Amino acid sequence: MSDILVVENLKKSFTTGDKTLTVLDDVSFSVPEGASISIVGPSGSGKTTLLGLCAGLDVSTGGSVSLVGIKLNALSEDDRAYVRNQYVGFIFQNFQLLPTLTALENVTVPLELRGEKQYKKKALDLLDRVGLSDRAYHYPSQLSGGEQQRVAMARAFISSPKILFADEPTGNLDEETANRVTELLFDINRSEGTTLVLVTHNLDLAAHTERILQLKGGKLISDQKSMRAV
Amino acid sequence: MEYIIKIKKEKRNLFKDKWVWKMAYRDARKNFSRLFLFISSIIIGIAALVSINSFNINLQRSINEQAKDLLGADLVVNANTRFEEDLQTIFDSIPGQQATEATTASMAMFMTSTPGTRLIRIVALEGDFPFYGDLVTSPEGAYEVMKTGPYAMVDENLASHYDVSSEDSIRLGNMVFKVAGEVSKIPGGGGIQATFTPSVYISMDYLDSTGLVQFGSRVSYKQYFKIDSEEAVETAVSQVKPLVKKYGHSSETVEDRKNNLGEGFENLYRFFNLLAFVALILGCIGVASSVHIYVREKREMVAVMRCIGTSGWQAFNIFFVQTVILGIIGSILGVLLGLGIQFALPPLLKEFIPLDLDLQIAWSAVLEAIILGLMISLLFSVLPLVAVRFVPPLSVLRTNYEPLRTFSKVRVLVIVLIILFPLAFATYQSGSFMVGGAFFGALLLAFGCLALVANLLMKAVKKFFPRNWSFIWRQSLANLFRPNNQTLVLVVVIGLGAFLIATLNIVQNSLLNQVEFVGRENQSNTILFDIQPQQKEGVIRLTRDNDLPVQQVVPIITCRLSQVAGKTISEIQNDTTDAIPNWAITREYRVTYRDTLTASETMQQGAVQHISNDSIYVTISSGMQENLEVDVGDSIIFDIQGVPVTTYIGGVRDVEWPKDPPNFIFVFPTGVLEEAPQIFVLTTRIDEKVEANSYQRELVSLFPNVSLIDLRLVLATIDEFFDKVSFIIQFMALFSIITGLVVLAGAVINSKYLRLKENVLLRTIGAVKKQIWGMTILEYGYLGFFAAFTGISLSVISGWALSIYFFEVVFLPDIMSLLLIWGGVMVLTILVGWFNTRDVISRSPLEVLRKEG
Repeated sequence: MSDILVVENLKKSFTTGDKTLTVLDDVSFSVPEGASISIVGPSGSGKTTLLGLCAGLDVSTGGSVSLVGIKLNALSEDDRAYVRNQYVGFIFQNFQLLPTLTALENVTVPLELRGEKQYKKKALDLLDRVGLSDRAYHYPSQLSGGEQQRVAMARAFISSPKILFADEPTGNLDEETANRVTELLFDINRSEGTTLVLVTHNLDLAAHTERILQLKGGKLISDQKSMRAV
Repeated sequence: MEYIIKIKKEKRNLFKDKWVWKMAYRDARKNFSRLFLFISSIIIGIAALVSINSFNINLQRSINEQAKDLLGADLVVNANTRFEEDLQTIFDSIPGQQATEATTASMAMFMTSTPGTRLIRIVALEGDFPFYGDLVTSPEGAYEVMKTGPYAMVDENLASHYDVSSEDSIRLGNMVFKVAGEVSKIPGGGGIQATFTPSVYISMDYLDSTGLVQFGSRVSYKQYFKIDSEEAVETAVSQVKPLVKKYGHSSETVEDRKNNLGEGFENLYRFFNLLAFVALILGCIGVASSVHIYVREKREMVAVMRCIGTSGWQAFNIFFVQTVILGIIGSILGVLLGLGIQFALPPLLKEFIPLDLDLQIAWSAVLEAIILGLMISLLFSVLPLVAVRFVPPLSVLRTNYEPLRTFSKVRVLVIVLIILFPLAFATYQSGSFMVGGAFFGALLLAFGCLALVANLLMKAVKKFFPRNWSFIWRQSLANLFRPNNQTLVLVVVIGLGAFLIATLNIVQNSLLNQVEFVGRENQSNTILFDIQPQQKEGVIRLTRDNDLPVQQVVPIITCRLSQVAGKTISEIQNDTTDAIPNWAITREYRVTYRDTLTASETMQQGAVQHISNDSIYVTISSGMQENLEVDVGDSIIFDIQGVPVTTYIGGVRDVEWPKDPPNFIFVFPTGVLEEAPQIFVLTTRIDEKVEANSYQRELVSLFPNVSLIDLRLVLATIDEFFDKVSFIIQFMALFSIITGLVVLAGAVINSKYLRLKENVLLRTIGAVKKQIWGMTILEYGYLGFFAAFTGISLSVISGWALSIYFFEVVFLPDIMSLLLIWGGVMVLTILVGWFNTRDVISRSPLEVLRKEG
């Protein structure tokens, strides 16, 4: 199976005045298609920065990221946006739904952007799958946190992404809701065969993935199979 | 599996990208209230422009259509004396119909149910005037009745004041006239002139019988001509012109009237254009400011859209489409509001415009406004919208992430266009690059001064910071100079509004105070004129018998100029290099004689009028000295009732004209004119209205030709006049003020996002709501205080310059009014600040911290 994400000697640093702060230093790993990995580590270890670079939200200072065979460093921001639209799905800690769109419209946006015409039925099916068919025409402000995250999941999966990046997907949810969302996330992920890259503090959540990458001080200090995989 | 994809390079076309239009609609339907500031800025700016431009177009059209009706004839010749024989001969040779009018001021005694006496204008008519336009009377046939005998028609305001009915009589001089009716409209009449000098109309046949036209009386004459063709008018004008010029008369054709009216309204146009310019520029600031706020609010949403694949231009286009459509809607609403206001203007201006304003929709003004509205919404929204293209998708994960880049060619181009826009607009609006440039320059100057003061203020507050004040006072004061402060924007915007209001207030007060000051301080408030020598003692006795003081009895001699500085009048007229105005050398002068100065005079040059070595040294007022271009020592030969009198300029006097009238251009020394035919003016002071009434009645009965001016009545009329003018000015200035408030609200909303996190942190570490409220109110209080102070300080300078150099009155600002404006602006700033930050203060700290974390 080919690698969908290849990270080689990745480096990211910020310069403020005459000081340079290195957030990521010489990080390398690869993720095969259909696999699920977690990136864990303490605050400030560079998890979110790594996620941003892998997903093409930012560009590195050194090294390279190859996503679905495309070297992201060589692309402009708009070209990276096109790659994201075609191959990438996102789930964020703060849900990040578009506040002026209904739940259904939030889900359909990625397909509309691709220029597809038949998206409504697929979106309604996905909303039904996450248990929100009766909330399709509600605005985000009318939904609970758990409901918003489920809409975000439907939006992430609607374009059948090759790879899904999730940043603390349960971080803003209570335990019970978090468990339901986790279950749903991995359930859909398995059935869709999507590659999953998860960033979290939560080791229980990380344990659901096949591999766990541990970061500390911007360096990758371990890359292990999770207990579940074992 | 190989993942090889081809990146789509084609740029999305806004007009083909349906998704952008769909997203623009979806986003706007829940967001309309957020764009309220944007749309209201456009509406008010465009409304100001449409109402003013459309009104100007209608006014110009009415002038063109009604100039003939207003003149009442094809040609009019005006004179302050009876027409000379040679001129009369030319009149007789002009084909077509003619009519004559003689006008003089006189006292009228109304023998009505509300009896009274007052100074009026007697208009004696002969012939079928008016040849054009309407003479509207009540009852309808009153004019025909008036021509048949001793009948009079009365201006309708005067008639209603004295309850005049057709059964009543009016005494004018020695004659009693029966009232034939009221005049509600007459060519050349009405307007503000009717307020100051209401008229009574009689037939010319009875003018002499009134005994009012005596030696020294001021009577003006008009000869009206109805001429069949324009060529014939031109021929007639060329025939009368040489003699008209020679005798110092004037003539007016329909074309002249159009030009005169146009020139008369020039200042009104300029003032309205200035207001439109200010309102529109503030509107532009409002647009830029509201879109800036909107973009700031949309930053997070844009970041999410970028994450899921929206390109920078697509994100930009979504909001661009919204602003353009709202710009069009705002322009249309602005046009409708402007047209509504335009229809409200004529009643306000009725008394100042001698025209029947037939208002129509000026489509050119409407089209212009819509195009301009669209241009403004494009130009001033693109600058803040460009930022949308550079919102980094990573800011979904980190809120404080820096923009992708800040330099953009579009941004530079837009900045250049924005700088050029006010200059181009002002040039277009005024029709002159010079005037447009002056407007633009004045705007830059005002903005520059306000910006300079704002910067100095920030530095001063920082340098002299009161470190021992309590936390709330210190914290709110420190907000004036800390990073992300709004001091510059708010001081400029609020300061400009305060500057405009205060300048208007200062000018108005200087004009009003001038009149009131003179009225209060003058020794005399009543002037009796046209007293014949044989009546002099009688009038003095009557005044004393009524226990009234006789302040001055001044002799007046009428004369003309024969030579000025060695040149005859015709030599000066023929000298094309001479800039001496014709009226100054051909007019009739009323001079007096005395050896002293009065309280209203001071010597500027030379000595008080005197006789030295048998030479007569007169003094001249400083204004006329400039007009006649004469200096001390120059000779002037007067023609006094046919007798040439050679004099020399002995001195130049500065005269405060409104103070203690009568005042004179030329004053002779005693010992020269005592034997010349003369009339007298007597001044007195009457403090009680009852006294005034009985004195006036007796005066009119005993000395019917003597007229009386009650300065208190004049003062009251001027006061009323200024009230109306200031109302119109304030009404029109409202545009600028309302737009200023919208911009202010925008600036406050803009700053609230900067204060949001700080307020939440303060609350997290223990600040109670009351303290946060205190800081907010104090911060906006400081801003209002300093901004209004700056605006008012600048307005004192501009008000001083306008009073001294433009209106030529004493600079007398009303400190109390300025303090009220200061306080008012401060309170308004606090209210707008409080209203727009109230939700920030009531928001849960955790909600914000989570979001920021």
